[in-house]
Amino acid sequence: MALAPARRRGHLTIRTRAFDVRINVRVLLLAAGVTGVLALLATWAMTLGSYPVPYTDVFWSLLGRGNEEHEFIVRTLRVPRVLCAIGIGGMLALSGAIFQGLVRNPLVSPDIIGIESGATLFAVFWLVTGRGWGLLPFAAFGGAFLTAALIYVLSWKGGVSPNRLILVGIGIGSCAAAGTTYLTVRYPVEIVRPAQVWTMGSVYGSDWGDVRVLGVAIAFLLPLAVGLTWSLRTLQLGEDVSRGLGMPLERTRLLLILTGCALSAVTISIAGPIGFVALMTPHLARMLAGPLSGSMMLLTGALGATFLLAADVVAQHALPVALPVGVITSAVGAPYFLLLLYRANIRM
Amino acid sequence: MSRLRSDTITLAYDAGPIVRDVALAIPDGRITTIIGPNGCGKSTLLRALARLMKPASGAVILDGQLIHQLPTREVAKRLGLLHQQPTPPGGITVEGLVARGRYPHQSFLQPPSRRDAEAVDRALELTGMQALRQRPVDQLSGGQRQRAWMAMALAQETALLLLDEPTTFLDIAHQLEVIELVQRLNAEEGRTIVMVLHDVNEAARASHRIVALAGGRIVRDGTPEEVIEPGLLAELYGVECDVHRDPSSGLPVCVPRSRLDVPPAPSPGPQPAFVVDHLQVGYAGTPVLHDVSALVPSGQVTAIVGPNACGKSTLLRACARLLAPTGGVVRFAGDDVRRGSHKALARRLALLTQGPQPPSGFLVEDLVAAGRIPHQSLLRQWRAHDEAAVEHALQRCDLCDLRYREVQTLSGGQRQRAWIAMALAQQSEALLLDEPTTFLDIAAQVDLLELVRELNRREGRTVVMVLHDLAMAARYADQVIVMSHGAVVAAGPPADVLTSDLLREVFEIDACLSTDPHTGALLILPNHALTPQAPQAAMLEPVRS
Repeated sequence: MALAPARRRGHLTIRTRAFDVRINVRVLLLAAGVTGVLALLATWAMTLGSYPVPYTDVFWSLLGRGNEEHEFIVRTLRVPRVLCAIGIGGMLALSGAIFQGLVRNPLVSPDIIGIESGATLFAVFWLVTGRGWGLLPFAAFGGAFLTAALIYVLSWKGGVSPNRLILVGIGIGSCAAAGTTYLTVRYPVEIVRPAQVWTMGSVYGSDWGDVRVLGVAIAFLLPLAVGLTWSLRTLQLGEDVSRGLGMPLERTRLLLILTGCALSAVTISIAGPIGFVALMTPHLARMLAGPLSGSMMLLTGALGATFLLAADVVAQHALPVALPVGVITSAVGAPYFLLLLYRANIRM
Repeated sequence: MSRLRSDTITLAYDAGPIVRDVALAIPDGRITTIIGPNGCGKSTLLRALARLMKPASGAVILDGQLIHQLPTREVAKRLGLLHQQPTPPGGITVEGLVARGRYPHQSFLQPPSRRDAEAVDRALELTGMQALRQRPVDQLSGGQRQRAWMAMALAQETALLLLDEPTTFLDIAHQLEVIELVQRLNAEEGRTIVMVLHDVNEAARASHRIVALAGGRIVRDGTPEEVIEPGLLAELYGVECDVHRDPSSGLPVCVPRSRLDVPPAPSPGPQPAFVVDHLQVGYAGTPVLHDVSALVPSGQVTAIVGPNACGKSTLLRACARLLAPTGGVVRFAGDDVRRGSHKALARRLALLTQGPQPPSGFLVEDLVAAGRIPHQSLLRQWRAHDEAAVEHALQRCDLCDLRYREVQTLSGGQRQRAWIAMALAQQSEALLLDEPTTFLDIAAQVDLLELVRELNRREGRTVVMVLHDLAMAARYADQVIVMSHGAVVAAGPPADVLTSDLLREVFEIDACLSTDPHTGALLILPNHALTPQAPQAAMLEPVRS
């Protein structure tokens, strides 16, 4: 194994008999740094609550050696919530990065092009018609995929153009939102109420079952997302250039859309729609690390996880009333979105 | 006298000043042209003269008043501006577009007057667009579209007309046509015209006065004879030029000199690179190429030329498998290009598309490395061979010093070189280039085409490029394929194919052909367009009934 220092700063080339890779060390270190911050934040989050648990007790409880009360609070109540926030934040960020790269437009994310609205419509329908919470994930999942498929089919005209995809997506999203509103006025208030709370997006009440679903999804989708970074990077050069470089455009796009949808559908089925994480985080990653590189997805995921966990800590503890985390992300994200639009306007 | 002048203005964008201390008085009733290399600030200066940009210091003065203190509508009554590549509103007809030129003369809620209708009619007549007045603008050819915009500016009936690169994107006949229209407007109506042009020879043909701009300052200001001389052109563009006299008009014609001794054209390989066999291709059901057959020899530089919308880019795109033929076949080195994977084809065939947009944040090196994508796989992401190919491409294209620069910060010429380097890093047998010189100034054009020819001569790569500049095609191609209306009309070495008869028939221009004394290559000096002109009566004052 030869380990040649790259001539370009921040790159490391590793060549072996089995593989040759060039790693952007700077981005990888950044990702590691953010992960470190995330670990600290997670530990702190587990100490907080109406029943404070000191750091040492958190540590012992995690290892299963704390007193019974602490173990229950930490392992049954707090760990699943923290892990869910981390997993959901990371997945949302990845799906945002995929959609933004796909359409070469930084103002896009699954919540903006209507995929989340579609999932929400199905989930609310599921709840108000009294089908119970048990199979809710599958309803949301089905909604996200059907919406994505509909957007894809409607924007197909001998190939999918990114601009048409965005416009069709916004249209479908509005229809789905209208449908959701209709359901909430059509059904009695006491049935609608829990569904409405769910649509605000929250990781409140997450349990180990949710963590398991997330774990399986991440195990499949994270490698896929990292593997697709190459294709995304090529797509940044434009359609014709990508084709000239031998990329089967439609197939790659379909794969990217499916992966992006799967990522966001899983999060919705667990926590409801949480806005703006998918939009903001990829920007943050680009600001820190420059254009897309191989380790970018790891950095984006870590940043998304940190962002959502921090937002959840604020939502839960910083205010007199505990709020759903979606309220906080929207409160931060909406002004940021406006800022982006404002800057995009100035550039034109 | 001059109604419009700039009083030592400095113009700046966020990145810093573009135009510095320019004092310019536009002579009334004459044609003034601003020339200069890419990025010298010529379009910026024109925008400031048209009140679209506020100077950082100094002032633009129209009829003795500061232009920024005049109301917009007042300025628009006196001064019309034709932007560079404007986009028409969707679905608008030619007449609708031209009528918009009357806005400054109309008031709120007032229906168009007879005066407005007359001005529109007249503008359509002057530009020869009457027959197309009901046609949607998006359905027009490039030349017609440019004339429609011109008609809109004319309907504004301003004494001053400012035109920003009115001939870019037009084929040679339409270029000449636009220039002749400008000259008629000036000669017969006494309009004052200020143009930005990037073709020096066009400027010499069209104008009374030429202002040469470099680095945001005026470096020469005078008649075409005074300005078009080798010393100044070398200073402006950094390129050695010969200045010939056009035998028929006596105007100076600048011909850039090749920078290296041109090795003779290599003899073509035993097997043609591309065989196009009864090809039919179209977009969304509208056929563009009907039954095209052609041969592209391997190991040589072939240029595909033809007037706008003749299907030359379509042919190139079909060769690169970007378009699916509805009939016929394109074979590359014997194999149907539609067979096999895209990736396998990309290893043998590199394509540089027209005007690609570099993504933000990409360094030159990143872009060139992207050329290795067809050779890479999940496990083999960066082999020593990839690195060597990138190094080689950077060196060949003289980009080693720029390798860590962001592509978006490069000049047009450098950027185009970076894209060529990317295609080069692909290490393919053939290189396809779609209009690689559009938007480049003359020095960058020569630079680029020299580079392309060198790559062919040194490495034996087959080069096929679409060019819209005939003179450049004649100089740099070993073979030309001439297309017209979706068919190939002639093919062979430039000197055999590009005869004055062919230029008259296919390109609708009258041109003078001679040979470059240095290289012996064919020189094409276009004289004027043969397209039917608007009737002379249109020049006279409109009849008022």
